[in-house]
Amino acid sequence: MLEMDGEKPIYIQIAEWLETEIIEGTLQADDKVYSQYQLADLFNINPATAGKGLTILLDAELIYKKRGLGTFVSADAREKLLTKRKGGRLSRLVQELLNEAALLGLQEEQLIELIRAERKERS
Amino acid sequence: MPAITLKNVTKSYRSITVLNQLNLEIRENVITGLVGRNGVGKTTLMKMVAGFIKESDGELRVLGERPFNSLKVSANMIFIDDMMGFPDALTLGDLLTECDRFYENWDQDLAMRLLKYFKLPLSLNHRVLSKGKRSTFNAVVGIATRCPLTMFDEPITGMDAGARRDFYRALLKDYLAHPRTILLSSHHMEEMEDLLEDILLIDGKDSAFHGSITELQEKFISLQGKENVLKQYANRYAVIHKSSAGPLTEWIVDNDHTNLELTELKQAGIRVSAVSASEAYLAMTGQTRGGVDDVFDAMERE
Repeated sequence: MLEMDGEKPIYIQIAEWLETEIIEGTLQADDKVYSQYQLADLFNINPATAGKGLTILLDAELIYKKRGLGTFVSADAREKLLTKRKGGRLSRLVQELLNEAALLGLQEEQLIELIRAERKERS
Repeated sequence: MPAITLKNVTKSYRSITVLNQLNLEIRENVITGLVGRNGVGKTTLMKMVAGFIKESDGELRVLGERPFNSLKVSANMIFIDDMMGFPDALTLGDLLTECDRFYENWDQDLAMRLLKYFKLPLSLNHRVLSKGKRSTFNAVVGIATRCPLTMFDEPITGMDAGARRDFYRALLKDYLAHPRTILLSSHHMEEMEDLLEDILLIDGKDSAFHGSITELQEKFISLQGKENVLKQYANRYAVIHKSSAGPLTEWIVDNDHTNLELTELKQAGIRVSAVSASEAYLAMTGQTRGGVDDVFDAMERE
């Protein structure tokens, strides 16, 4: 999947929403996942589009199907997602950060200082 | 089996050809959006499918039959538009009773509840309704008939923002419970984009795009940045549409880039974003900002 700026197509938003539910633990291993019809009702979208959101998670083996019963969260889903987000999303955010820093002519030490200051403020 | 099949279908009025050799299939139990600029033949296509007018040439099949003069198509199809004529002698309540008698799947309870919700008294006459209220009543009829083939031609004409949102929601809710083939034409694609599964774009007597909404959402990407930067980095891509607002220029290009190429563009300061189905539609039909500017620019030059 290509990484874009700005708003993403709705089925990708749904896939990411479900991923966040798994990371946060709202959906735990072997919990039943919303059906495409529940998602369609929840997000007010066509059920086929909602189904495409679920397919993204199925293809990544984050959820699994039980015939006639629905889809459920895979045992290692959370672990997989944490690895994926660290390698993917976080590193892309770092890339963006570096682009902005280069534009402003910031040195690496100044950038690290900024991160430290921000973390201190939060703790 | 598709709900609607067209093979080389042509429709002409005397010497004017509105639809030329159209080939397409509308999938059963899918919500399809029918879009295209004014006058490209959307209404003609729907009326032909409804059996109201006859095709001039080619083969048209609706629910397995040729729709013109077909009782089967009439009983299993409803066509909703803002020109719907109802007898003056009947009140809205009477009209619902008649619908109940004619349409096998009619849900009287749902119709009554929706009319109450939209504040449409049963005692009123259809003729005295405002434009928006009339569209709302027609839309309620379209939903409550639950016809295997339901067609809406510009159903939201005159409806306020709240009524439009309620209509889309009601249609989706009822479709989830009772899947059926729905054909929906509108000039407000950005509002109904999420409701659709398929899109049929008619452009200049032909179908310019017919596929799933997600396919259209992935067809293009938008590149925004300074024009000289775009020219330097993105000139090798096929540009579908160019527009500019102030210092920023936007190019809509085919979405066939690798992640590596995208990273390169971003590092050059170009913003890469997804193109929604309605934006893609506007770009493909030249409806984005800037088009009409050419007219005024040309006048200034002369």
